[in-house]
Amino acid sequence: MNEVETRIVAIVTELLERSDREDLTVTLESRLHGDDGLGLDSLQTAELSAILEDELGTDPFGAGLLPETVGEVVAFYADQAAASA
Amino acid sequence: MSAPEGSAAPRTVIITGGSRGLGEGIVQHFLDAGDRVATCARSETDAVRTWQKDPAYDGRFLFREVDLADREACTAFVKDVLGEWKSVDILVNNAGVARDGILALFSDEDTDTVIDLNLKATIHLSRQIVRNMLAHGGGRIVNISSITGLTGYRGLSVYGATKAALDGFTRGLAREVGSRKITVNSIASGYLKTEMSHGLDDGQLQQIIRRTPAGRLGDPEDIARAIAFLVDEKNDWITGQVLVVDGGLTA
Repeated sequence: MNEVETRIVAIVTELLERSDREDLTVTLESRLHGDDGLGLDSLQTAELSAILEDELGTDPFGAGLLPETVGEVVAFYADQAAASA
Repeated sequence: MSAPEGSAAPRTVIITGGSRGLGEGIVQHFLDAGDRVATCARSETDAVRTWQKDPAYDGRFLFREVDLADREACTAFVKDVLGEWKSVDILVNNAGVARDGILALFSDEDTDTVIDLNLKATIHLSRQIVRNMLAHGGGRIVNISSITGLTGYRGLSVYGATKAALDGFTRGLAREVGSRKITVNSIASGYLKTEMSHGLDDGQLQQIIRRTPAGRLGDPEDIARAIAFLVDEKNDWITGQVLVVDGGLTA
């Protein structure tokens, strides 16, 4: 994993720990919502959006996107980096 | 999150509309408590200039000339505060405008002015600060409402409508974020001495005094003390409430 991937997985893991759900393993393939994924509810999604913006200056939800997996969140930042390169 | 008054750890507080009247009193209260205070208003006043020059407030007072109804300017203000102090512990939504006049003669422009600032700007700013509080693990929000939103007052129907809506906003937001150590409450202020500028004439004010059990109009400090109570770190079991502070007028 590159630095951004590691950071985002850590952010999601920390978010789950806040909700006493540290038993879940976060990977790039993990779905953010639903019983077959990490099961984030709307408030947890808002928290994720806010933490990403706070730490990385921008976030995909605030940009109007609806990423479904951790990998899609990572891809948002990869796209941003590519666009600014 | 927050430190009690006199503690070494200052809290970061945003108070909107803090250049005069009630807002000025609230800013002074938190500065006296040792907190970091950011405020904004449409224009600088003598009070703001005094705070800016006072070495006692060096590094813990921030003022920006902002019309909060201008979303870009409002967002820039929030970015300035977060750039300076990273996170916000307390938000006091005090900025508001009153236009008096019976509805049948009220202009649509005045309606827009009152709703744009009292409601839409407050919601816009709160959304940004709630995101910061969610990211940083908690906070306190106090919305300055008014008894005119509870009882109504002739000639202030639009103003009263925005304050009643603000109380609804308080209740809904409190439910949303209560599990994240964020409390949201309203203070329904009674009539203050500073209300002279809110369109009430002397005759109306004297009538209000006669009907108020406490026998006087309120001071900004009466409201500031109630805010201090609601934002106390220990008071985390009071949320979604409207605290009436009015000298007993609505009792």
